[in-house]
Amino acid sequence: MADLKKENVARVIDFLQENKNRGGDVSLNDVMHLAEVMSGSMHDFLTTVKPAVTEELTVIAKEISRMKSEITSLRANDMRSSKIPDAGMELDAIVEATETATNTIMEAAEEIMGADASDAAAYHELVNGKMIEIFEACTFQDITGQRISKVVSTLNYIDERVTAFVNHLRITEDMEETGEETEEERRKRELILHGPQQGGEGVSQNDVDDMLNDPNFDIDSLFD
Amino acid sequence: MALDLTMPVLVVDDYKTMIRIIRNLLKQLGFEDIDDAADGTEALEKMQQRKYGLVISDWNMEPMTGYELLKQVRSDSSLSKTPFIMVTAESKTENVIAAKKAGVNNYIVKPFNAQTLKGKIEAVFSD
Repeated sequence: MADLKKENVARVIDFLQENKNRGGDVSLNDVMHLAEVMSGSMHDFLTTVKPAVTEELTVIAKEISRMKSEITSLRANDMRSSKIPDAGMELDAIVEATETATNTIMEAAEEIMGADASDAAAYHELVNGKMIEIFEACTFQDITGQRISKVVSTLNYIDERVTAFVNHLRITEDMEETGEETEEERRKRELILHGPQQGGEGVSQNDVDDMLNDPNFDIDSLFD
Repeated sequence: MALDLTMPVLVVDDYKTMIRIIRNLLKQLGFEDIDDAADGTEALEKMQQRKYGLVISDWNMEPMTGYELLKQVRSDSSLSKTPFIMVTAESKTENVIAAKKAGVNNYIVKPFNAQTLKGKIEAVFSD
């Protein structure tokens, strides 16, 4: 009882005071620290009162310790400061490389289209030169392929750690809160913005033609 | 409505490369007067200043999408008759149906080829 009043309660009060001074900015680590302090305090107090409760507190303390270990193994700081920014830079480089290659290929094609074919020898030389430029530009595919592999590795790395974290904490889908629709999500829904479909997901050009050309196609039934 | 290769055509897309591709294909088809805009807002401004014979628009653009542009065009009595072709990667059934309800003249799914573009333009002007 003396321990509860003096040392452990003092630690709890110190924690609450420190938190108050920070304007209530509490991290998950703070909460777990408080839980550990509380658990330790109650453990000392209840050891003398009821052994069964002590066992429960020991289990809780172990669980808190395990959760701290899981959070550490998530390596969230490594993801935030290194993995995700690196993946973003790889994607930027892919966009730049494909844009540069496309421009090179289109410029070559435009020069061929606009060339004077009346001088057969000069025209032949021009076309050969531009074809080589097109082949050279296509080498972007090898490098972008390697960059994409690195991004996929990063996504797998994140997926493995988050999945392990969720499994260890026994978080099930029905425990997750349904977040409010963001402005971006609302815009996508109202303006029917899905982006490019995966192979086999969207309709084909023939399907589109059928829908547009069939005067009996019952559009309204699909909106009910 | 006959196909007139001298009529001004407005290509609307937020990707310069796609505008360049469509522009080159239209030139190959014989069109001479080709203008472009980077989104629906810019397209609408251009359409209020000049009468275009055909609009070829992407769907997914910011701030104004091609779908919003189509609805704006159809609701404006001075622009409502302008032929409008959607060229887009949005290939879900609900997109096609929404575009048809909004009054699109034709709908091309990306990626597309020159023959498809030619066929859809001809179909719009043969109706």
